[in-house]
Amino acid sequence: MKTCIACGMPMTKPADYPLGDESKDYCIYCARPDGSMQSYPEKLEGTTDFLIRTQGLDRQAAHAAAIRTLAKLPAWQKIQKGSDTKSSD
Amino acid sequence: MRKTVRELQKEQTKELLLQTAYEVFSKKGIMNTRVSDIAQAAGVSHGTIFVHFSSLEAMIEEVVALYGQKIAMRTHALAQSSGSLSDLLRAHLCGIMEFEPFYTHLVIENRLLPPGARDSWISIQSAVSFHFSLVYEREFGHNDRPGIPLHMLFNMWMGLVHYYLQNGDLFAPEGNVIGRYQDILIDSYLKLLKGGMTEK
Ligand SMILES: [Zn+2]
Repeated sequence: MKTCIACGMPMTKPADYPLGDESKDYCIYCARPDGSMQSYPEKLEGTTDFLIRTQGLDRQAAHAAAIRTLAKLPAWQKIQKGSDTKSSD
Repeated sequence: MRKTVRELQKEQTKELLLQTAYEVFSKKGIMNTRVSDIAQAAGVSHGTIFVHFSSLEAMIEEVVALYGQKIAMRTHALAQSSGSLSDLLRAHLCGIMEFEPFYTHLVIENRLLPPGARDSWISIQSAVSFHFSLVYEREFGHNDRPGIPLHMLFNMWMGLVHYYLQNGDLFAPEGNVIGRYQDILIDSYLKLLKGGMTEK
């Protein structure tokens, strides 16, 4: 079983992959509508919004938690804190 | 690259230490455990522990990260097939039940733990809130039909479950809070939710 390199979610079925493409290392929630992987700023914003929307966290606390959580994932390990580097598509 | 016998032994010892620490934490609590307790339970010297972990704090962070991930993965696997909110709540409790003594200590102690353990705590909750939001959208649509925001519904459920775990000595002194209360917790929560909706 693969886990998404960009958010850590286990990918167990075709529907977990972007456009059902099981050769991808990232999941459907880390993909843009065209199937390419979201950039770090996009994922950071998405993760922050997720924590606020589903768990009601304070925006700053959610943002800080999202930065720390993403830093542990393979896709973002090289991203420096606060950097705006875009991932290649 | 092939691993040497020495490297393999080192990995095995580390696994043993993580597993033993998990068991001792489950029994004694996390902050209440000393390095010597883990060394004794694992049958290794005090010094051996520090070959594998730079400090007790580092060890706590690793154990919570590893078992936090196991809890999150298990919850995710159980929740995959949840068609309704009722199924999902049951899957959530099932996932906790498999790790109940350890999870209970996390509930009680997580704000006192090293920062890395706090992040693992958020990750466990995210595995649940992710599936909770999917079911919520499926059952209520995007229009806030119950009149209560998603995160409030989620936190009400979490607050209820964690209150029972936190005070487990009063609710189920034998140490089986979830097994004993899961039906009434799920039923009561769902009835409150449905009652709230018919009043609207
Ligand atoms: Zn992902």
